[in-house]
Amino acid sequence: MAQVSLRNVVKRYELVQVVHNINLEIADHEFVVLVGPSGCGKSTTLRMLAGLEEISSGEIYIDSRPVSSVPPWNRDIAMVFQNYALYPHMTVAENMGFGLKLRHVPKSEIQARVKHAADILGITNLLDRRPKALSGGQRQRVAMGRALVRDPKVFLFDEPLSNLDAKLRVQMRTEIKKLHQRVNTTTIYVTHDQVEAMTLADRVVVMNGGRIEQIGPPQELYHAPKSLFVAGFVGSPGMNFVPARVEESNGSLYLSIGNRCRLAVPLARTDRYGPFVGRMMTFGIRPEHISEPSGEPQSGMAPLELPVDVVEPMGAETLVHCNLDGTTVIACLEPSTQASPGKPIKLVADMNHMHLIDPETSLVV
Amino acid sequence: MKRVWVHVGLIAFSAYILLPILWIIRTSFVPESMSYSSSLMPGFTLDNFAALLNRRNFGNSLLRSLIVSLGATLIALPFAAATGFAFARYRTGGNLGRFLVLATQMLPAIVLVLPTFTIFRSLGLTNSIFGLMIVYAALNLPFLTWILMGFFEGIPVELEWAAMIDGANPWTAFWRVVIPVSLPGLASAGILGFIMAWNEFIFALILTGPATATVPVSLAALQTQNGIRIADVSAGVVLAVIPLAIIARYAQRFIVSGLTFGAVK
Repeated sequence: MAQVSLRNVVKRYELVQVVHNINLEIADHEFVVLVGPSGCGKSTTLRMLAGLEEISSGEIYIDSRPVSSVPPWNRDIAMVFQNYALYPHMTVAENMGFGLKLRHVPKSEIQARVKHAADILGITNLLDRRPKALSGGQRQRVAMGRALVRDPKVFLFDEPLSNLDAKLRVQMRTEIKKLHQRVNTTTIYVTHDQVEAMTLADRVVVMNGGRIEQIGPPQELYHAPKSLFVAGFVGSPGMNFVPARVEESNGSLYLSIGNRCRLAVPLARTDRYGPFVGRMMTFGIRPEHISEPSGEPQSGMAPLELPVDVVEPMGAETLVHCNLDGTTVIACLEPSTQASPGKPIKLVADMNHMHLIDPETSLVV
Repeated sequence: MKRVWVHVGLIAFSAYILLPILWIIRTSFVPESMSYSSSLMPGFTLDNFAALLNRRNFGNSLLRSLIVSLGATLIALPFAAATGFAFARYRTGGNLGRFLVLATQMLPAIVLVLPTFTIFRSLGLTNSIFGLMIVYAALNLPFLTWILMGFFEGIPVELEWAAMIDGANPWTAFWRVVIPVSLPGLASAGILGFIMAWNEFIFALILTGPATATVPVSLAALQTQNGIRIADVSAGVVLAVIPLAIIARYAQRFIVSGLTFGAVK
C-alpha cells in the first residue's frame, strides 16, 4: 500500500499535448476515480502511472520513490483492463498466479494465494477453466483476482466495467467497493461514467481536455462544482443551463430570463452575485431542485410556469422536459405528477441550490 | 428449377477442376502400355509406383523435399515472427518498411535465380540441399512476416501490458504470452511456408543436381528424349501430392485462418 503523487505530469505526442500539467496527491488506502469524457486524457494518465506510456515531463512518485524511469514490471502495481486481458492459453488459476510465478514465489504459496483470492471473489469453482469458457462478469472477477493475488502497492482500473451489461455493471461496482473496503489498497480507477465515479470514489478527479477541472469528494462536486463542465458532467440527468441576465431592484437581485420570466435570487447570495448585475450569465439548476409547489411558499423558492414538451416516467420519479424561453429545462418530479405534454405546469425552483456561471470564464461564481 | 441449374453449374465446375486430378490418379494405377487408353480403368497395377521408387530413387527426392521444406520453414519462422512482431507492435520502418516487405514478392523468381546461382556457386552451396534450404528460407521470409504481422496485429496490446504489469519484461511477455497466443498463426504460416517450399521448382532446378534433386525437379526429369512416360509422371504427382493432401486435411483450419487474418478483424 502506498501514496501516489503526480507532479506537473505532461504527455505530448509529437506536436499534440494530450495531458497538461497534472498535479495529484493520492493518500494511502484512498480510492480515487479519474472521470471525464472520451479523449480527456484519463486513460493516458493511468497508463503513465503504470509505466505503459512514457511521460513527456514531470514526475510520478509511488511511496516517495520517483518511478518515471522504472519499467512497469518493477513498479509493483496491478492493473485491470477494460477488455480484461486474460491470457487465453492459461487456466484461471494460471492467469492469477502468473505474476507470482514470474517472481519465483514457491508453488505451494502461489496455490494458497490464488485460492485465497478466488475465495474472496467467489470464483473457486472456475479455477481450472480457460478464459473463453467464462462469462463477461466471471472474466472481470478473474482479472480482479489476478490483481488481488499479487498484493501490490497500487491497484489501477481502466474502465473495468464498460464491457458489462447494465445490471452486471451495477453489481460489479458494488463488489469493487466491497473489495476495496476489505483489502484497502490504494486504488486509482478510470471511468467515463460519472455514476460509477460518484458511487465508488473517496475523491473524484474530473478531467477535461487533458486538464484537471476539479478534485473533490463526490458530494462536493455535486453541490459545489467549480466550472460549467463539472456542473454539467456530474449528476444524472445533468444540470439545466439557461442564459439569464442579473438585475437589481430595491436591493434584491433577480435573474431575468427572456421577457416574461424573473427569478428572485436568495438574499444570502446578494454579495456574491452583486458584481455581475447587468451581465448575461448562465443560470444552472439541477432537475432535482425543481419541483411542483406544495403548501406555503418557502424562502428561496421561485415560481415558474412552463409548457411541457415531454414526460418521462422513470418509476421512482418522473422527468418532465419543459421549455423555458427556448431552452429545454428538465424537472425531476414526483411520480404522481399530472404533467402532460402540451399543457403548462406550475413549478418552483429551489434557488438556494442555484449556480451562476460566468460565460466568459466558464467558472461558477 | 432454378436450384437444379445452380447444381448443374456447380457440378460442371467441380468436374472441370477435379477431372484432370482424377485422371492422373487413374493413370498412376494403369499399366504403362495402356496409359493413353480411353477406357476408364483398363487394368490395375502398382508397377508405376514401384518403378519410380526403385529405379528412379523417387523416395530420396521425397525425403530431400521433406528435409528442405521443413528446414527452410523452421529457419524462416522465428525470424518472421520477430520481424512481424516488430512491424505490428512497434511499427518499425513505418509504412515504407511494410511496403518493402511486400515489394520483395513482386519480383519474378527468374530475376533472382541467376544472381543467386552465381553467389551460391562461389560459396560452394550449389548442388546442396542445405543451400536450397537457405534460399527457401529467404524466399519465404517476407511472406511469413506478412502473415504473422497480421496475426500479431489481431492480438490486443493489453495482453502484453498485463504481462508486463505482472512482472514480465518485454522479452518474457513476448515469449510467454504473445507466442503461445499466436500458435495458430505460427502454425498456419509454417504450413503455408512448407507448401511453398515443397512446390518450388525454378530455384531447385538451377541449384540442385541429380543427387540433390527435389520432387518437382525429379518429376520434370521424367520427361526424356523418348517422350514423357505419363504413367511414371502420374505416379510421381500422386506421391508428391500426398503430403500436401494430408496437411490440407488436418490443417485446413489453420491455413484458412492464416490467409484471412487481418482481413476480418
